[in-house]
Amino acid sequence: MARFHQLAVTDVRKTIRDAVVVSLKPVNGGEFDFTQGQYLTFRRDFDGTELRRSYSICAAKGDGLLQVGIKKVDGGAFSTWANEDLKPGDTLEAMSPMGSFFTPIDAAQARNYLAFAGGSGITPVLSILKTTLAAEPHSTFTLVYANRGVNTIMFREELEDLKNTHMGRLTVIHILESDAQDIDLFTGRVDQDKCAALFRHWIDISSIDTAFICGPEPMMLGIAAALRDHGLADDQIKFELFASAQPGRLARKASATSAAGQAKTTQASVTLDGSARSFTMDKDQTILDAALGNAIDAPYACKAGVCSTCRCKVLEGEVEMVANHALEDYEVQRGYVLSCQSFPVTDRVVVDYDQ
Amino acid sequence: MAEDMSIQSYLSQGGKLTNPTNVPPRYRAELMKIMATFVDSELAGAAGFADVINAAPGIKERIAAAKIVLEKTDNAGQVLRLLGEFGADTARYANSHPWTARLPRNAPVGSSRSEHDMRLSVLNYPLDGWVDAVVMNLSMGLAVGVQLDELTRISYQPLAETIRGIAPVEARHVELAEEGLARLIEQEKTPELTVSLEYWRPRVAAIFGEASSGRFEQLSGWGLRHRSNAALLQDWNDRMDAALTRLGLTG
Repeated sequence: MARFHQLAVTDVRKTIRDAVVVSLKPVNGGEFDFTQGQYLTFRRDFDGTELRRSYSICAAKGDGLLQVGIKKVDGGAFSTWANEDLKPGDTLEAMSPMGSFFTPIDAAQARNYLAFAGGSGITPVLSILKTTLAAEPHSTFTLVYANRGVNTIMFREELEDLKNTHMGRLTVIHILESDAQDIDLFTGRVDQDKCAALFRHWIDISSIDTAFICGPEPMMLGIAAALRDHGLADDQIKFELFASAQPGRLARKASATSAAGQAKTTQASVTLDGSARSFTMDKDQTILDAALGNAIDAPYACKAGVCSTCRCKVLEGEVEMVANHALEDYEVQRGYVLSCQSFPVTDRVVVDYDQ
Repeated sequence: MAEDMSIQSYLSQGGKLTNPTNVPPRYRAELMKIMATFVDSELAGAAGFADVINAAPGIKERIAAAKIVLEKTDNAGQVLRLLGEFGADTARYANSHPWTARLPRNAPVGSSRSEHDMRLSVLNYPLDGWVDAVVMNLSMGLAVGVQLDELTRISYQPLAETIRGIAPVEARHVELAEEGLARLIEQEKTPELTVSLEYWRPRVAAIFGEASSGRFEQLSGWGLRHRSNAALLQDWNDRMDAALTRLGLTG
């Protein structure tokens, strides 16, 4: 199960107008020894609702420092708070570092890495490239870094410094969407065609051992397609996606209070894959069994309240969950239940597997 | 850079998801079913093979059987760890079902033992001695190979990467089975072995499901599946025939 630990904020530094780099220090233990490219998941209570957000570590493995980059997202509660109110001396709660956006470091190997970063997607890539350049002295790194304009480039100076520190081993190509550059190729979006042109003139793709991509969805698709077109296999391409579909907006609380009914049966409505089905069920049957009994292909695996495959959200009415070894308090608070362990209490219950 | 794209459209174009926070609810549920099926099958398979260690005719065979039990359990553990990242209680999970439980040997093809674990149906049938276990290991091992090839392309990158690590280990189990069968043929056990093949082949074939499955379209739209049940079954039949030809067991 997920465990949260306290981290003290030791520094908050602006990198660009709407992004901060936050330095953190474990307060009372917890395993925070990370691998380059991993992320931290934070939690914080906003007006009674817990929000969780993941941010990539931007420090190198050898930096002896835990640092994440947080870019402000329009309407994002957590990122706005981090950019506007977070200050040294505050405490954050986070889980131990997670993620597999990295390849093993071996000081003896001479490899050529290529990375693509879009906007704040630079954070894990910066961690990877700093770690690699320092710990694999024979390897080279090429970064293609996409941004809207010059003033939205996070870690621009730090990247310049790294080029000087590791002379000849780091190449950075900035692609700017709206600011014109000396070379036409470096203006516009990074898509499949742009990559093909880069591979023709600027990057010897046949020499590349591993490629990393971190950015928004369309960019990831275009780059991955171009890399495959140019002969890279799936196991040479590493992705990290922090989808825009992971909203930081506060959701409305599900209201589910009505007097417990007296009847032995319940009118149930179950939504799965966009279609709702209604049926009458016994109160001594679980929501999952009733759904399965009514030919609804509801998801489940363990049926023991352990795995959480059968998770659904109660939109109306109340259920009693007799065992829960998999959902956390904040999920339960939002109305999620394990349908294999949940019996209806009210005379009408509405659940949704799609939320 | 903030070009909007729905996760559905991203996935249908071959996009990869990389951690539990990316994952939409229905995708999450189907992915977890896939992972639970893998974990339960490995645990049930290892549990069934544990007894076979004592049926092994020699030290080499004992080591091979023990190695298979150890490695299948380890493979289960690797995928169970991923389930844990979605909230599953991994310690409870590992002991939540009686992995050694089996149906009677003569239960009809495609039977399911219980609704409570997700093992593939073939793992509900008991092994009957050493020869039978080696035949089952070859037939099922080749089927696992086909299924793992499919899983290495899955759109949930952490699972695809884990499976890429597991696939060579499972492939080695098939090699051990083929070596074991070659020895049994030298020892003139071909008649026994033929009986076992007739028993296991239809039971393994049943794990590929119905030729046209309604779920396939949805699962392939999410990048959770790529090849149809019928194509996977055909692939397995081809691999079986090739193995049996190598062993001189055709005809």
